[in-house]
Amino acid sequence: MRCGQSPPITTLKAERTQVNIAAHDKFPEQLQKALDQGLLKRLPPTFLPFTRQQLHDWDYLFPYERQSVMHLLLFLASLNQAESTTLFREVFQLEEKMGVRNWQFSTEEQTILNASLLARSPYYQDWRKAVQKVFDAAEEHAARADTAKASRHRFVLLVIPRNLPLDSTTVWRRWQSVGRVVKLDGTEAGGSQSPAQALLATPRGKPRDGLLDIVTRRPGSTVADCWILDAGHELVESVLASEPIEPGSYPATLLSYERLDGFREQFSHEINAMQKDLSAADAVYDRLRKVDVTPWCPPEVAGVPAIREYLRLLYLSGNGALIFGNSFVEWGASEALRRARPDFLVARFGVRSKPKPFTSVAVFENPDQINPLPAVDDLPGSALDAQELALYVWLAASRYDEYRTNTACVCLAEGLSEAYVIAPPEFDLFREAQPVPLDPFRAVVAEWLS
Amino acid sequence: MGVKEPYISRALAGCPGWPGDSSRRDFLSAAAAVLVGLGLPSTGVAGGGQHGTGGSGQRVVVVIFGGVRRAETFSPEGIENIPHLSGDMLRRALLFADTRNEGVTAHFNAISSILTGNWQRVDDWGKVAPATPTLFEFFRKQLRVAQSDTWMIASNKALTSLIGASSASQYGPSYGANVVFPKQLLVAAVVNALRAGRTGNLADRARIETELQAMLEAGNYEGLGWNVFDGVTNLDPRVRSTIESAISNFVRSGGPTSGDELTYMVSREVMRKFSPRLLVIIFSDVEVAHFGSYALHVAGIRTGDRLAYQVWRDIEADPEYKGKTTMFILPEFGRDPDGSATNGFFNHRGDSESTRSTWMMALGTAVEKPGVIERPVRHVDLCPTLAGLLGCPRMELQGIPISEFRV
Repeated sequence: MRCGQSPPITTLKAERTQVNIAAHDKFPEQLQKALDQGLLKRLPPTFLPFTRQQLHDWDYLFPYERQSVMHLLLFLASLNQAESTTLFREVFQLEEKMGVRNWQFSTEEQTILNASLLARSPYYQDWRKAVQKVFDAAEEHAARADTAKASRHRFVLLVIPRNLPLDSTTVWRRWQSVGRVVKLDGTEAGGSQSPAQALLATPRGKPRDGLLDIVTRRPGSTVADCWILDAGHELVESVLASEPIEPGSYPATLLSYERLDGFREQFSHEINAMQKDLSAADAVYDRLRKVDVTPWCPPEVAGVPAIREYLRLLYLSGNGALIFGNSFVEWGASEALRRARPDFLVARFGVRSKPKPFTSVAVFENPDQINPLPAVDDLPGSALDAQELALYVWLAASRYDEYRTNTACVCLAEGLSEAYVIAPPEFDLFREAQPVPLDPFRAVVAEWLS
Repeated sequence: MGVKEPYISRALAGCPGWPGDSSRRDFLSAAAAVLVGLGLPSTGVAGGGQHGTGGSGQRVVVVIFGGVRRAETFSPEGIENIPHLSGDMLRRALLFADTRNEGVTAHFNAISSILTGNWQRVDDWGKVAPATPTLFEFFRKQLRVAQSDTWMIASNKALTSLIGASSASQYGPSYGANVVFPKQLLVAAVVNALRAGRTGNLADRARIETELQAMLEAGNYEGLGWNVFDGVTNLDPRVRSTIESAISNFVRSGGPTSGDELTYMVSREVMRKFSPRLLVIIFSDVEVAHFGSYALHVAGIRTGDRLAYQVWRDIEADPEYKGKTTMFILPEFGRDPDGSATNGFFNHRGDSESTRSTWMMALGTAVEKPGVIERPVRHVDLCPTLAGLLGCPRMELQGIPISEFRV
């Protein structure tokens, strides 16, 4: 494959089976050439763990990540010796001051020991800034060449489900007036279907006009461009049930916290048994990086190597993804935005239980298995978590250029029949008469994405 | 510090009995006017109760929270989470509005920097003792103070017994503090019951007490990270009865059952039985933030606020402490700002004001005049300040004594 070509992922659902962003047996030619010419030898030692790990995991990287690694490495390869020395001077100087050469520092992969050594150096913050400058230079270089995909419309839907109690006078306060409140008419969702489920459903009589269908028809689209993260299972299962899906051919990356119970339990068990020691931690993490997780995955994940690996890293990176469904959704969405830059992302929050007396001090996961007291929903607490974390997903998106100008973000408070909308003026929802019924709402989003 | 001034002033403007004035100068003038006549606690520094042989006779209690941002505490939105700190306590306190952690914003290093007066950069997992002497060691060695006079009682699982003494030659464990991790006892009891299949016991308060007492009798105090009067397998009988009493109160009170509640109960019993002259209490319920529950994090702040107030009330009610004690309350650091690449309140790794700048409150004997101090002070400045209050000779440290206190 030549440099600049997309990985072999097509737009047809049947072929999207290979979310398999994998299936590469070598790097793009230009990258391979740069590597063969000794590019890595020019990099500072503290750059190597990240770079080598990205190359090692190439088969499991999302298209956007591959492109980023390519941009970085080809930019570095394009520099002559003097330019390279100038670019890395500060990093090399800081490594010298930090005494990196005397550390037990892995240049092969990122380890907890590496992170700990760096973090407690008095020069750590300076080092981070110096490294960021290098990445900024590479990104600036890349930005000149690549603007096509960055300019297309994107959509982020954040869902606070209707069973979470919200105060209409304060619910949007933390958004600090960056957007507008839009009143919705959710009555047509009706029955057991939530407004979010209704929005994602295929309109009656228009089998190809569902939002997921529209996103998947976009040129160059892969399942990495379309994500649904669910703190429960309802939303993911309604997508799975909505149309006949051949095994291995899913319209989106579908992640349900509850459907991933088995995966989580295995990881929790290992991590909780870990001794409080750096080398023990690295040993456990090393084992968890290698173990075959396929048997623990639901079908929509099991057949997708890149997503399996994404989940493995998500769980290893903490941030509560193993503990609370809402944390899983927030951190999972943030990582998806960082790593895959999807066009369409849905993050649906949910309910967690109250911590149980005594045992919650020691063990967070599987509280029902270890404490016979019945689980009690913490609805007000879950609502507060969801409000804060919904904002965090948007803040995570807004760190990236792709989402600053061409993205509509809707935070849907199902219980209030309200949405908070951050979007460019041309997003037509602002022009609809309020309360906006769900059908026109869906039509506006469909038009936005078309 | 212009960045924080509006927060603090606006925050205090919302405090009960505080003047509703938002400009800094007017605010400080008004604050001074309000504070005059409130009546300070007794300022006498003499008095009995000295256990060791030297020192000023003053006592010091330091309460340290985990990572807490200004946004959830001394800010217009956060003030509701700290009704005691921003109410009764603030009126008689010195509030240092910009208290800075300029070192490693991780637990072991943050606590050991506070305790040593030098920025520590040791292993974050508590496998290595602080590199320079702790306040406990200065106090005990220089003034020949007994170990029973210096205690650290902590919830935080990131700490180990090595926090009580440094690896410095001339000092070290023989001059260290008693170190107790009550929450570890609870964790061990739960894990032990699980391993033995006694899950039913975990839902019953009476049986939980049995599990905790059994853990206490098991004798592996080193395994719990404790270091109390050098007893690895046997607890001093006085300590044992102290902990038993705390456990009983914790379990039977019918109240909340978090790690910080147990830490408070043990601290209270230690104060009653040993009246230590230097007591450090570390609460960490707020660290549930690492798991991403904002509601539980805020609940941890409220718990810390309530328990710090309880400690202050205990001081005021105990003749061994009343009128000769200064209490300090401060977070280890803040947390990362919303929208940061480190996932905001979940973590405390960023090099941001939100992570590095918090606050410190002092109240009691050494506080000459309540008010708000806006100039920045650093965490390492606390150790030499406390050393001065306790009567230790001056030491060569990175920290500089804070001048606002009456020594």
